Amino acid sequence: MPAPVLRVDRATRRFGELVAVDGASLTLEAGAVSAIVGENGAGKSTLLKLCAGVLAPSSGRVLIGDADLAPATMAEASRRGVGLVHQHFMLVGAFRAIENVVLGAEPVRSGGRLDLATATARVRELMTASGLPVPLDAITDDLTVGERQRLEILRVLYRGARVLLLDEPTAVLSPLEAEELYGTLRRLAAEGRAVAVVTHRLDEVVRFADRVTVMRRGRVVHEAELRLEGGGRRPAAGLEEELTRAIMGGDPPPPFAPPAFAEGAAVALAVAGLRLGDGAGRTLLDGVDLEVRAGEIVGVAGVEGNGQRELVRALAGLEPRAEGTVTVAGQRLDPRARDAVRARRSVLAVVHEDRHEDGLMLEASVADNLVIGDLGDPRSIAFDEAAVVARRLGRFHVDPADPARLAGELSGGNQQKLVVARALDRLLSARATGAAVLAQPTRGVDVGAAAAIHAAIGEAAAAGLGVLVVSADLAELRRLAHRLVVMRRGRIVATLPPTASEAEIGRAMLGVEAA
Amino acid sequence: MSAVFSLTMVAETLRISAPYACAAAGGVWAERSGVIQIGLEGVLLTSAFTSVAVAHATGSAALGVVAGVIAGAAISVGHGLLVEKARVDAVVSGIALNLSAMAGTRLALRGLYGSASNSPAIEGFRFGPTGSAGWSLLARVFADPVTLLAIAAVVATPFVLARTRLGLRVRAAGENPVAAAAVGVDVTRVRLSALAISGAVCALGGVHLAFDQHRFESGMSNGRGFIALAAVVVSGWRAGRAAMACLAFGALEALQIVLQDQARKGSLGDLVQLLPYVATLLVLAFAAGRSAAPKGLGKPAEE
Repeated sequence: MPAPVLRVDRATRRFGELVAVDGASLTLEAGAVSAIVGENGAGKSTLLKLCAGVLAPSSGRVLIGDADLAPATMAEASRRGVGLVHQHFMLVGAFRAIENVVLGAEPVRSGGRLDLATATARVRELMTASGLPVPLDAITDDLTVGERQRLEILRVLYRGARVLLLDEPTAVLSPLEAEELYGTLRRLAAEGRAVAVVTHRLDEVVRFADRVTVMRRGRVVHEAELRLEGGGRRPAAGLEEELTRAIMGGDPPPPFAPPAFAEGAAVALAVAGLRLGDGAGRTLLDGVDLEVRAGEIVGVAGVEGNGQRELVRALAGLEPRAEGTVTVAGQRLDPRARDAVRARRSVLAVVHEDRHEDGLMLEASVADNLVIGDLGDPRSIAFDEAAVVARRLGRFHVDPADPARLAGELSGGNQQKLVVARALDRLLSARATGAAVLAQPTRGVDVGAAAAIHAAIGEAAAAGLGVLVVSADLAELRRLAHRLVVMRRGRIVATLPPTASEAEIGRAMLGVEAA
Repeated sequence: MSAVFSLTMVAETLRISAPYACAAAGGVWAERSGVIQIGLEGVLLTSAFTSVAVAHATGSAALGVVAGVIAGAAISVGHGLLVEKARVDAVVSGIALNLSAMAGTRLALRGLYGSASNSPAIEGFRFGPTGSAGWSLLARVFADPVTLLAIAAVVATPFVLARTRLGLRVRAAGENPVAAAAVGVDVTRVRLSALAISGAVCALGGVHLAFDQHRFESGMSNGRGFIALAAVVVSGWRAGRAAMACLAFGALEALQIVLQDQARKGSLGDLVQLLPYVATLLVLAFAAGRSAAPKGLGKPAEE
């Protein structure tokens, strides 16, 4: 048994009334990759932050080696070899990659001059040793998501980390990139580091982790060794179910099955020759052709940044420069029309990918968030706001169902339910024909909320809406959709059945020919 | 025409540009660290007055310079404390800084010298040859310690920002304070340091203004802080370009002086006087949309 390099001993962390971590213990050992799973708000990220000194425990201890982490600050944790890779990248976009690596731990010559040559040489060594290639002189904003993540890991290694903590590192990666990442993490662990990964994806845990810790409501409720004595792995069969049950504290919801869909149904959403440039000569959408029939759920797969975001924005009427035609329920939508967004609301429901940026007013009440967009037209004189709010809260199981609460006080999953409720209920209640477009509908939400949102998507399709779902989570798309399309470089490059393997879809995403 | 391409023109350009360039460099230091600073005008005035008051009281020009620089740094840091620690809106704090500098220097003029318009003359620095020939004007510019300090500060700014640890941290604080804090950079401290430098560099401009006239005049900064701010914006918050913009502006103003001498008889002089301002407007109109501000400008140090 190798010595533990980091140990959390019955740590509790409170935020006012809320107990985020409640007497949790965790042991990280050199050479092992540990996974931490649990619903949103279960305390996973908080536990990681306690380990990294970002937060101090209210009671209990964090030990690095044999000594307490004192003072409980990030600087001290970093000095003693603990490094955290944040869920949202902590990088300065305008900096060159190498500047981001050294920021906060800069090598200097006399007079405080930066010694980037020395730093570059050291980072190149690290890149070779760890297999984490990053173009060091490139501007960080120009890097791909995968490169930025490698940059974050390099930055932590540059500081000599012996304990590597990663908060949902694969949420933004394609399946192939995620697999590569775990390969790297395994290698880093084999060199004698301890690695801990917080994730929502159980399939990753089953495939790559040495042990798993399940958290629920701040407590550690389940632990399992996945690597058996003698070097074998625990068989995957039954493991995911076991973990799901521990995460939810009960039986998992029945798996989602898309409602039946008749091939000959009318076309609900038709996109033809949709093009969009960024105004600086770069093509974002390069002639997208797409049809979604009434009652059909079509999933859009693709590596992030291949035009999915722009496609959703163009459909929503937010890109007046878009060329091509978008037809919903037989009605041609003009992107240049005055008030293009409002003009669409009787036939088109849109959920944007970033609920904080585009979806919600976090400082406004749940009620205001649920009806914004329904107010301000002549018919709204007869609009019974309280009734609509109550219906939307109930239909989508928002918890707490309190219209007066601020949206920002809800958990991520319930915030997402608000956004989905507002978009879908408008069409469903009006029994309208039309289409729904949802981008990353369950990003960063827990299993329970995801199930509720999936059920709502199924309901929309059953009611005869054409549904387009854009998601980075292939497993989700395969479960939800009747048909998958793959986007690459602003075009639809493949149409696949949902039964296609992840590897097959992954190859289409990257433009690799089948071997 | 020869008057336009002359040593006089070069000397006048440098002399006139110095306060603009110092204020612009100061603006770059503050805003690249993420703190909105529209109080450059107030820093110019305060430092100009302080340098004259101290030089007059002690009879030492050098002490005057030091006092002016310290005063500039101090009120600039005061602005930083209000914005970063007390969370006062940076625009409000900047306006307050400008107004109180305007009123405060007037009040002090009355209190100390019993005048509403100007201080008594101070000796300042008088090095170099006398006379009004072009070469002697230029020699005087390069023999003036304040001008030399100003040039050094303006030239050093882009290098320090790009090549040093302090510069890297200042830029990080201005671009993404949350990310900077996440790797252990004390964003508030970095911003206050940047504001101290901003105030000191800008103050050199104020001192230059006052020593050039050998006295303080009420409101003598006359909008230079705002024009410098425009130069910062037009240059996309880049120190080198901002200095060039100020030099260009100084050249236009010098041109106006040189031409005015020649056109004194006609009414052309009044129009020529407009030249620098019209140029500013034009440049702003064409460049404003394209420049990229630091992404963390005006964002607090914590989430």
